[in-house]
Amino acid sequence: MAKQIVLKPEKCVNCQTCVMVCSFKHFGEFSTTLAAVSVFDYEEDVVTVPVMCLQCDEAYCVNICPTGAMHHNGEGVSEVDYDKCIGCKLCMQVCPFGNISFSPKQRKIFKCDQCGGEPECVKHCAAGALLFEDPENDSARKKAVADSLKNMVVEEVA
Amino acid sequence: MQIRYFANYRTITGRRTEEVAAPATMLALLEQLSTRYGAELRRWLLSADGLAKGENAVILLNGRHIEHLDGVATTLKEEDVVSLFPLVAGG
Amino acid sequence: MNAWTGTILRVNLKDKTIVKEALNTKWANDYVGARGLGSKYLVEEIDPAIDALGPKNRLIYMAGPLTGTSAASSGRFEICAKAPLTGTIGAANSGGYFGPELKFAGYDGIIFEGVSAKPVYLYIKDDVVELRDASDLWGLNVHETTDALNELLGSKFRISTIGQAGERMSLFACVNNDKNRANGRGGMGAVMGSKKLKAVAVRGTGSVKVAQPEAFNEAVCDARTKLRAHPVSGEGLAALGTEVLVNVINESGALPFRNFRDGAVDPNADDYSGERLAATYLIKNRGCFACSIACGRVTRVTNSPYASFGEGPEYEAGWAFGASCGVNNLAAICKANFLCNEYGLDPITMGTTIACAMELAEMGAIPEEDIGFKLFFGDADAMVRLTEMTGKGEGFGLTLGQGSYRMAEKYGHPELSMSTKKQEMPAYDGRAIQGMGLEYATSNRGGCHVRGYLTSPEILGVPVKTDPLVTEGKGALLKLFQDLTALVDSSGMCLFTTFGIGLPEISAQLRTAIGTDESDEDFLLKGERIWNLEKQFNIAAGVEKDTLPPRLLRDELKQGPATGKVCDLATMLKDYYAERGWDKEGVPTKDKLAELSLG
Repeated sequence: MAKQIVLKPEKCVNCQTCVMVCSFKHFGEFSTTLAAVSVFDYEEDVVTVPVMCLQCDEAYCVNICPTGAMHHNGEGVSEVDYDKCIGCKLCMQVCPFGNISFSPKQRKIFKCDQCGGEPECVKHCAAGALLFEDPENDSARKKAVADSLKNMVVEEVA
Repeated sequence: MQIRYFANYRTITGRRTEEVAAPATMLALLEQLSTRYGAELRRWLLSADGLAKGENAVILLNGRHIEHLDGVATTLKEEDVVSLFPLVAGG
Repeated sequence: MNAWTGTILRVNLKDKTIVKEALNTKWANDYVGARGLGSKYLVEEIDPAIDALGPKNRLIYMAGPLTGTSAASSGRFEICAKAPLTGTIGAANSGGYFGPELKFAGYDGIIFEGVSAKPVYLYIKDDVVELRDASDLWGLNVHETTDALNELLGSKFRISTIGQAGERMSLFACVNNDKNRANGRGGMGAVMGSKKLKAVAVRGTGSVKVAQPEAFNEAVCDARTKLRAHPVSGEGLAALGTEVLVNVINESGALPFRNFRDGAVDPNADDYSGERLAATYLIKNRGCFACSIACGRVTRVTNSPYASFGEGPEYEAGWAFGASCGVNNLAAICKANFLCNEYGLDPITMGTTIACAMELAEMGAIPEEDIGFKLFFGDADAMVRLTEMTGKGEGFGLTLGQGSYRMAEKYGHPELSMSTKKQEMPAYDGRAIQGMGLEYATSNRGGCHVRGYLTSPEILGVPVKTDPLVTEGKGALLKLFQDLTALVDSSGMCLFTTFGIGLPEISAQLRTAIGTDESDEDFLLKGERIWNLEKQFNIAAGVEKDTLPPRLLRDELKQGPATGKVCDLATMLKDYYAERGWDKEGVPTKDKLAELSLG
């Protein structure tokens, strides 16, 4: 399976660097409204969660696109072909996660395209909240769960 | 003599303080502690060749940074206190 | 325009007029931004002799050229005004998200003039800028105000506000944004309160552009890579926060204990260290906008009479309520710090003013009936209670709210206020770290560690190690640190980046963002120009000469490696003035001013 952007909200420190580098990479300017990634802060729970396109296999956005502009690129990423896009915004409306945006100024639909395989957000995430890896091989997370189970067993035995 | 550990050194050694017999020099002490607590502490305390203080270690003898004494050649006495830190800052 | 939005908002609170005016690009070039540029506007617009809490003072919000970009730790902005605590030029820097949002809304800064008849707040949503009634917000604390405005306007608005302390013009009231980030020192919150301006709420959907996108990106990547690789900015500050300093400063015999009265070693310092905080109440670390360092602490105190939730304490606040008050109860220290964030008080001055009151009370100089109860060093309950009373403006809290100098003067002992230019010195003893003594004496905003942080070379060895007990070379070193810091504060970057990067990396980001071919030295010279501009203001304002409390000049330390030491200020001051190109009285010479185009 192709690499994906893996989210680790527990590590996110809410610095919004991902937001800045995303808008800069795709639009050449810094803006919170031109980024395909957003970070939400849940103050009471002390959690911040970065969100972006999850690159669905059965992608509603691809299925509904009347011109074929929104398409799977064959490497696990759904992309917009701007030559075909008519700006109807149906893809925005059907995305179950709200991860497709439209810039009124640029007259452009945009979403995470994983920067062609080198996601800028991942490169700059110092906290380690965004990783680019094969989601099946998240052995660290598996091991963390195993560790906590082990600790429970050890405590019970003790 | 007394050794005081701070910051991540406490995690590495599992201690906050300990009493040890004073070796002749600071270098001998750093070598001794690195041997006792392993590679992770060694990487902080000593340079790669083991002949100098690690670049990112702050080592105080009775509150004085050893750079203003005789460095790792500083001689030690039983009544000395050595405080060991990684390079930290804030403000 | 590159790096700038090109627009400044001018808001007259008396006439309720709002004007969008062009940024003065010459000044932006000469004074960089934020601290430098805000100070330039201030100097041009007010008479240095005015009453800081009168209608003629200005309150200036100013972002830097790098604010709102991906530059390393670049979410910062400055609030400038004549400072009521010190009478000096006031400039207080803060991180958070407010500064970037202001630029995304299309403004580099806001200049507030005059005084409103009724409480108001400034609403900014891109082009729409309005003064709105804040009667319902007046009397709310920082957190309540932020929540109320976010409820009313939406969570995407960033809120900069004062608490009750600012409304009542406590001389060390700060202005908070994102609840727990503060433009902390000198009483900027009191100036805001004097203008009946409760808050600024901003939401911006626009963008910031840079001159040379590719080169800028390269410079940013270089700086960020170095910051992540450095043990301080890449690891230490995230894990243990600034409180990690408690033990190293204490072990170095430089942690001022009980109002600097009982030396500089606290036998219980480890009880409120970064290590202890991480092992007890720390929930998570947080970063400000665009910051990879993430030194912020989110903390929750449980199982304690001081149970509470908030951010911090950071090192200076932890010391002010800890060693300075002789308190080692971390829960109480957290609680007092949280209260400061809620009422909008500078915790450094709060803690040290309580410490001064403790000393005066122990001496019998403050009668017990004035305070309302017996006060002594180490009383954690009293410390929390007095912080609350200051926030609420109740009883003795009104006296405390004036800062330690005015309180100590009232009770006949101004010499026991551990302040310079009436602002309290923070958590490093100038007898054990000689250069810090020089820094406190010469800082343009009174007792302050972040105008020239010589602790870094003197204690930690960053970027080079110098001996904290010698005076030689400290004048030149401090000048360099002060000038570089003025540049960093003005750029929009956080001073903490200087642990991992230096002038070349900072200049490279500025150069490519603005689009200039100026050299590193040109940028450093701007820092020196800013320093001299501030100094000129202070001289014109009649601020007292550079000195230290007699305790640091006279009372020898009795413990630790600095045993027998006082701060040898006279020697260092002479060198420092010579290095600065100032005369023997510390006045910039004509030649120096001409060199800096300040004539």
